[in-house]
Amino acid sequence: MLLLDYQNVLIQSVLTERFSGAPPVSIDQTVSDFDGVTFHISTPEAKTKIMVSIQIRCFQDLLRYGAEEVLNREYGPYVVPPEPGFDFSIVVDLENLPAEKEARDELVKNISLLKRNAMAAPFEQAYQEYYHLKAEAAKFTSEEAPQDVREGGEVKVIHYREEEAIYVKASHDSVTVIFSTIFREETDRVFGKVFIQEFVDARRRAIQNAPQVLFRNDPPLELQGVPGVKNTGTGGIGYVTFVLYPRHLTPQRMPDVISHIQTFRDYFHYHIKASKAYIHTRMRRRTADFLQVLRRARPDSEEKERKTASGRTFKVGS
Amino acid sequence: MANQTPAVVMDNGTGFSKLGFAGNDSPSFVFPTAIATKGPAGGSGGSGSGRPAVANKPSFLTGGAGPTGHLSAKRGTEDLDFFIGDEAINAASGPGYGLHYPIRHGQIENWDHMERFWSNSIFKYLRVEPEDHYFLLTEPPLNPPENRENTAEIFFESFNCAGLYIAVQAVLALAASWTSSKVTDRSLTGTVIDSGDGVTHVIPVAEGYVIGSSIKSIPIAGRDITYFVQSLLRDRGEPDSSLKTAQEIKEEYCYVCPDIVNEFAKYDRDRSRFLKHVMTQPGGRQVTVDVGYERFLAPEIFFNPEIYSSDFLTPLPVVVDGVIQSSPIDVRRGLYKNIVLSGGSTLYKDFGRRLQRDIKQLVDARIRQSELRSGGAKSGGLEVQVITHKRQRHGPWFGGSLLGQTPEFRSYCHTKAEYQEYGPGIVRRFALLGGPGGS
Amino acid sequence: MSQSLRPYLQAVRSSLMAALCLSNFASQTAERHNVPEVEARTSPEVLLTPLTIARNENERVLIEPSINSIRISIKIKQADEIEHILVHKFTRFLTQRAESFFILRRKPIKGYDISFLITNFHTEEMLKHKLVDFIIQFMEEVDKEISEMKLFLNARARFVAESFLTPFD
Repeated sequence: MLLLDYQNVLIQSVLTERFSGAPPVSIDQTVSDFDGVTFHISTPEAKTKIMVSIQIRCFQDLLRYGAEEVLNREYGPYVVPPEPGFDFSIVVDLENLPAEKEARDELVKNISLLKRNAMAAPFEQAYQEYYHLKAEAAKFTSEEAPQDVREGGEVKVIHYREEEAIYVKASHDSVTVIFSTIFREETDRVFGKVFIQEFVDARRRAIQNAPQVLFRNDPPLELQGVPGVKNTGTGGIGYVTFVLYPRHLTPQRMPDVISHIQTFRDYFHYHIKASKAYIHTRMRRRTADFLQVLRRARPDSEEKERKTASGRTFKVGS
Repeated sequence: MANQTPAVVMDNGTGFSKLGFAGNDSPSFVFPTAIATKGPAGGSGGSGSGRPAVANKPSFLTGGAGPTGHLSAKRGTEDLDFFIGDEAINAASGPGYGLHYPIRHGQIENWDHMERFWSNSIFKYLRVEPEDHYFLLTEPPLNPPENRENTAEIFFESFNCAGLYIAVQAVLALAASWTSSKVTDRSLTGTVIDSGDGVTHVIPVAEGYVIGSSIKSIPIAGRDITYFVQSLLRDRGEPDSSLKTAQEIKEEYCYVCPDIVNEFAKYDRDRSRFLKHVMTQPGGRQVTVDVGYERFLAPEIFFNPEIYSSDFLTPLPVVVDGVIQSSPIDVRRGLYKNIVLSGGSTLYKDFGRRLQRDIKQLVDARIRQSELRSGGAKSGGLEVQVITHKRQRHGPWFGGSLLGQTPEFRSYCHTKAEYQEYGPGIVRRFALLGGPGGS
Repeated sequence: MSQSLRPYLQAVRSSLMAALCLSNFASQTAERHNVPEVEARTSPEVLLTPLTIARNENERVLIEPSINSIRISIKIKQADEIEHILVHKFTRFLTQRAESFFILRRKPIKGYDISFLITNFHTEEMLKHKLVDFIIQFMEEVDKEISEMKLFLNARARFVAESFLTPFD
């Protein structure tokens, strides 16, 4: 597996099975997703009414950036008041499903993207700001543009994990997405550095049209004056900046780019862990090699005659 | 943290892995513990199978060059190119992939494959960041402590998981039985009858500790029942006697009867007991298969193994009785009182009732004899109780889910910090979850 | 093999061959005990002068001989942070399996990455020149393995970065 899925596999499989016309059963499952997101799939009223609730750490942040509109747009007819303890809920009635299979699959897909859609709000807003600023900036030459156009939109902060946050900022010619990252472990930190360096270099070497990636240990200029950004420069916090250029900012590409960039942190961590697993594999093999050499230092284990069950003898080669 | 992430419960068995989150009543994912990697199945020197490659090359000088050359060739991404679970089985049916089962007889044999299996389970299926979650894993009884250490090494070093608890499957199966209304005290003493697909184990557990010397295993389990059904279908010349049909019939119609002779008579009196099973063949053709005596004969091989096998002849109740009799005398009463079923092959209707009756008969016969011998002394009797409950199928997983959601679970885990302080040896001992001193 | 590696390994080999001259020697301080003197350090008269062979400031071997035991500590080359962490991981992985390695010391001597302890009981049942072979081969292979792992890590990082950025293209 190289790239992570955008959707939640479990929600997808549960709903696909439910929507396929299987006899209704009661469901009560708590499901986790990355970044401490919790889903709750249940059938509180009747077996045919499936409720899916989501709880996101940064939901207050997201609401500020228009999550409600995005979610209402995506799930309009299904939205219900949130279940206690959760931030957002939808209910699907199995008896009122779309008739065509394609539409049903589409609905399943959309519900399994619940986390993605909730997190998409600030990005979408940044896109809109970018369109707006671009239109504004087009009216002026770069020198005489008013201050607010040159400075761009406000920085949107999403505290999606306890110690990490995403910052999104639009300007008239790009959208900047900054991930603050922290490593609790020395090995991960070193591996992470190697990986980030390659992210930074990739654009120069291979993929010219990719977003520009920058990395620094102290908060980038964009984040100056943003509350909650500690200007320590130490403590293992790093800032990974993605600069999305106009070619990534077309309305057609918006959904894909947003989905993809959201997975950055988990993708990054997944691959650090996968590399460690591979290095373990290598170390196991090498250890076995070393043992083999050491074992050959034992004369008795080499020269002793061994018998197989059928009585044949053979020598273990030296 | 006010809002705790649920613990991840993983029960990796020989045949199937059960994955999910603590607090749920059923595992989120159940799929085969299989991994499909590039290259032929079981081939030496295949990607990731380090040990066989080495063993096949006795000379280090050439052998050293061999794997090294191999490694530099696969510096790419071959180790990411694999599938697990049902996808693995699909991938392996096509060309290019070989299927491997990293767990044999309940124990992990291939650590490279298992590490990748876990990695994919966590990131693709469960979708959790292991740093945020505590993990509850299971192990078979008598698992060597080195295996635990290796597991801990992988979970703490590769995945940086927040905390880890490794529990014995049989103990979790006991905990799962707490949901039954018959269980009044939440004790961890009892006999677990764990019957899966390949083998059936009878495991006595005293206060959370497995009595290793008394464990017995029986070579009769789900697969044998399926074969037996299949052979009955073949003998009758049914139009479809594939393993799949046999399995469906076994799962849908089989039950345990109190007495075979009477049951045969009942069938002869009442024709409605004979059923028909409609089976859709791969081509889309529908075939009707008659279902007859195998409904009660198939599970009967637990109680009268001689109708199926010629080399294993001890009935299950006798084995259970023997296991308890070989356990320390002071726990036997508890073991008889709490016989817990676990695993898919214990789900037949009235399986527990029949087992209880048969064991009771054995026990009562023994008591009567000793009463006779003692000349007039009366025994107070011995309670035999077989517990059946709704969560039997995934008993160990459910027990794990139950214990994993208790508030004190986290304090029983070893954390990453502790691991770094003491090293992998720390996982040799775990405080007993749900035992005395627990809730 | 680079120019300085061969003489370095040759020096280690000859020193080891000379140092591996062990006899069964009972402890002088505790009756009916037989302890590796190089570890116990209770009788200075049975300890020999330790010897360091250094290839450069980052790579060296410390050989501490005594009458019945010899301790060999190796400092593995670590050019940068990545190699440092890989060496650390690898040596820990090995010491974790010290049980099956007979001569591997569970804890390295301070200032070194990995230590071996060979006693007269080892030399009695294992061939001396093969033991030396093992140490030498270990030194060679470990360097190779670390640099291969580093190469792997860089290649993987590049691949991962490119595959993440490609969809934006």
